[in-house]
Amino acid sequence: MTNVQLRLPLGLGHELERAVFTKGQREAVAFCLVSHARVGGATVLVARKILSLGDDDYLDDGVHGASWRGTAMLPAIESAMREDLGIFVVHAHDFSGQARLSSDDLASARRLVPMFAARVPGRPHGSVVLGRGAAAGFLALPNEHARVVNDLSIRWMGKAILDWPRPSPEVRRDAEVFDRQALVVGNQDCLAGARVAVVGLCGGGSHVVQQLTHQGIGTVIGVDPDTSDLTNLHRQVGMRPSDAEKKSPKTKIMARLVKSIGTGTRFIGVFGRVPEPEVLEALKSADVIVGCVDNLHARADLQEIAWRYCIPYVDVGVSIRPRPAAEHDARVTIGGNVLVLIPGGYCMWCAGFLSDEKLAAETDGKGRSYFQGKKGEAQVISFNGLVASQAVTEVLQLLTAFRGSSIDPSSLALEGDLQRGALKLDGVRGTLEDWGAKRRPQCPACDRSLGAGSAVWKAA
Amino acid sequence: MTPTFVTEAVQVLRNRYGDEQIRTAGDGGRTLVRVSEVELYEGCSPRSTPMLLVLDPGQPKPQVYVQPGQLLANGKAPRSTSVVMVGGESWLQFSFNIPWEESMGIIRFVAAARQRFVQHD
Repeated sequence: MTNVQLRLPLGLGHELERAVFTKGQREAVAFCLVSHARVGGATVLVARKILSLGDDDYLDDGVHGASWRGTAMLPAIESAMREDLGIFVVHAHDFSGQARLSSDDLASARRLVPMFAARVPGRPHGSVVLGRGAAAGFLALPNEHARVVNDLSIRWMGKAILDWPRPSPEVRRDAEVFDRQALVVGNQDCLAGARVAVVGLCGGGSHVVQQLTHQGIGTVIGVDPDTSDLTNLHRQVGMRPSDAEKKSPKTKIMARLVKSIGTGTRFIGVFGRVPEPEVLEALKSADVIVGCVDNLHARADLQEIAWRYCIPYVDVGVSIRPRPAAEHDARVTIGGNVLVLIPGGYCMWCAGFLSDEKLAAETDGKGRSYFQGKKGEAQVISFNGLVASQAVTEVLQLLTAFRGSSIDPSSLALEGDLQRGALKLDGVRGTLEDWGAKRRPQCPACDRSLGAGSAVWKAA
Repeated sequence: MTPTFVTEAVQVLRNRYGDEQIRTAGDGGRTLVRVSEVELYEGCSPRSTPMLLVLDPGQPKPQVYVQPGQLLANGKAPRSTSVVMVGGESWLQFSFNIPWEESMGIIRFVAAARQRFVQHD
């Protein structure tokens, strides 16, 4: 990632692209309202809203690429002030290669950006030009001098994560090792430059870590607060009996597993629980999060992190229950999910996987402080492995776009308004089917957290 | 809590702790108020903590959080706590129940929250 990245959730990116990449006599302009967060040493801007100008808003002065009435900016400025968001003027130069602000663009930016900053202090503001595959801008980031940024990174959410420009990995990998997966992966750099966080490192998560490492993911961040015991040996990939004796942290077992595979993947173990500070910082730095957790409270946290910082989140889970049955019938039900949650698409609250009632039930109606975690639930490695493998395939799609890379939300349609990526396991029948899910238009969780970034503290 | 109470509470906190100590942020209709340093009692470790108050007009009481890792005056970790995310940050939620209503004011609420850390569990 370059020093500044603008992330566009599913739907908003398509809206912005359609607004500014238009063929006509003049350039088209849109206003992108953003939150922001510091992630490592970089600034991440997350789009919350796109406002386009109408035809009547433009002035045909024949001098500038685009010129518009000052009053046309009022809806964007008022909305930004009301919601405490940064304001970016965006237009496009519709050709490939490097994007650069023209001298006219820059003069305009130098006038507008300080005015935006005066209206909404504490937020980043700027003027951005998009090329095809690259972007540049004049940016005023909080507590920094306004400056020209010629390597602005744009991340579009769609069927896959689409990065302009494509990031380069720190270390190139041995091409021969990955030769047989090249047909699907394409450029191995897509994986070698990626950071994938796996939360929960036992039955599901250990499979995920193992497969991501074989595929050649650049960095795997493994998060788990637990040590191993003998009850984990039947399902945690890479575990040895001595780990139970030593009560080895699951992160340590995964570090050993990754090293033994030898594909060059870097493993960062975080021995902690979501959303402890160190875990939160690690997750914010990920390109994709895979959740293999056993409770809804952790899922709710991962869902919020994913939406706030615009990070795709793949959630897996398996549930095995006894079933009263006649002698020759199935004696269990084996259900499970693989949810592909793309910021801007459906969330776990939209789809009913999370609700206040379900969270309250998990703590017997008491607060989060009383959550004890689940112990002793039935788990079988083959079912864990099945959903974990599908989750890794979904990560592969997000990073390599082997199924396509459209940012048009309709490209994710299953049927009607159902979005692809809500797969249900029936372990007794032996099926894993995409049932789809839909975004709820007034989902309070999406409204509150999608693209919200981090809280911006201001003097009262 | 009424919106008027939220506005007044921020002002009262500024008066009590000083402008430099108080920061606010909006978060989905709620007002987050961060007091950068609230002094706790002898033995608490650390002895002072940043405190977060969430003032939500949809809720009867403020919610209160301190920095993760806070220990009680007896040196132990408080029981029934958990780290939760508020405004994209990690905060320590603790079990805490006092009879309180708006008319009692925000300072009394903060004082009661501080008292939680002299309890022994």
